[in-house]
Amino acid sequence: MGEVPLLKELYAQYKDQGVALVGISLDEDAQPVREMVAGKAMSWPQILDADGTLVKLFNIKGTPTYYLLDRDGKIAAKDIPIKKLSAAIDELLKK
Amino acid sequence: MKKTTMARLCGSASSVLILVLLLLLTAHAQTAPPKPDPETDRVQAMVSQAKKEAEQFSKSGGKDTDAKHPNLKWAATLWQYHVEHPGTPATVVATAESLTLLNRSDRIDEMQAKADTLKLDDPAWQRVIYILLSAASKTKDYGYVIAKADALAQGAVDPEIKALARFTVGNAYWRKKDIEQARTAFRTVVTDYPKSSYAEDAEGNLREIEFLNPGQPAPSFERSTINGEPISMAGFKGKVVVLKFWGTY
Repeated sequence: MGEVPLLKELYAQYKDQGVALVGISLDEDAQPVREMVAGKAMSWPQILDADGTLVKLFNIKGTPTYYLLDRDGKIAAKDIPIKKLSAAIDELLKK
Repeated sequence: MKKTTMARLCGSASSVLILVLLLLLTAHAQTAPPKPDPETDRVQAMVSQAKKEAEQFSKSGGKDTDAKHPNLKWAATLWQYHVEHPGTPATVVATAESLTLLNRSDRIDEMQAKADTLKLDDPAWQRVIYILLSAASKTKDYGYVIAKADALAQGAVDPEIKALARFTVGNAYWRKKDIEQARTAFRTVVTDYPKSSYAEDAEGNLREIEFLNPGQPAPSFERSTINGEPISMAGFKGKVVVLKFWGTY
């Protein structure tokens, strides 16, 4: 989970600029997710996808995987590395 | 509850204890992992040692492609094991790890030459095919893995390996951005190996090729967060959205 600090920075920077961040956990149980979310102070919403519905819907093949959607709900990028997220978000916000 | 029933049935405390112990033992035997294989342990020890030496080598400034890299020595040792112990589970590990080390040190030609000596019915293919795909993704040269996987899909004996091979052909073409060939391969997995574990993955990939491309509308969903708040795609209207699929494991 080395990406959490980067993600927290990203969330702090963009949350008031019309950017939503959602965690979708593949865990089977909510408890470890709650613990990690609390322990690392991750304040964005989290969905538990224990039955794999969203994994199937988005054809997720491994974690972590990011999807980036534009303001119209269209896919802007998939499997995008976290380091490229911020530039891609800036690009979408300009539109 | 169970204990008291047993106590009545058996009549004395000591027989209850024995019965409980027996039950525990049987339960343990049923859930116990498969018998430890000392040969696999031996190979795993080599793999751990190789990893340790590689870490030390890179800490002291050595490069992955260095001719003196310990990966190369261990690749040779593990391959020697493969030669001397044909057809054992430990050899599958040794074979795959040897090729992994060669791939890691960018000895692609040597890795391919060794893979060429594996017969089509070698169970190591289950792992080796992934290593070939990983090497191809690195070099962007997919010709070898496609040819190998194609040969396996036709000539392997184990239907799971045949399905995996066809699935790998699909993945290789997909990464190569040859979408038509990728589609054909994934469709073949679905139709020819519907019961294999790869059929569902192939179906997922076919859906992704069709519906999950940049510019296409993201799938809509309606869920609750772990705090019980409703969350849906409709609720994000007008916002840029980042979805992160992850796990605590």
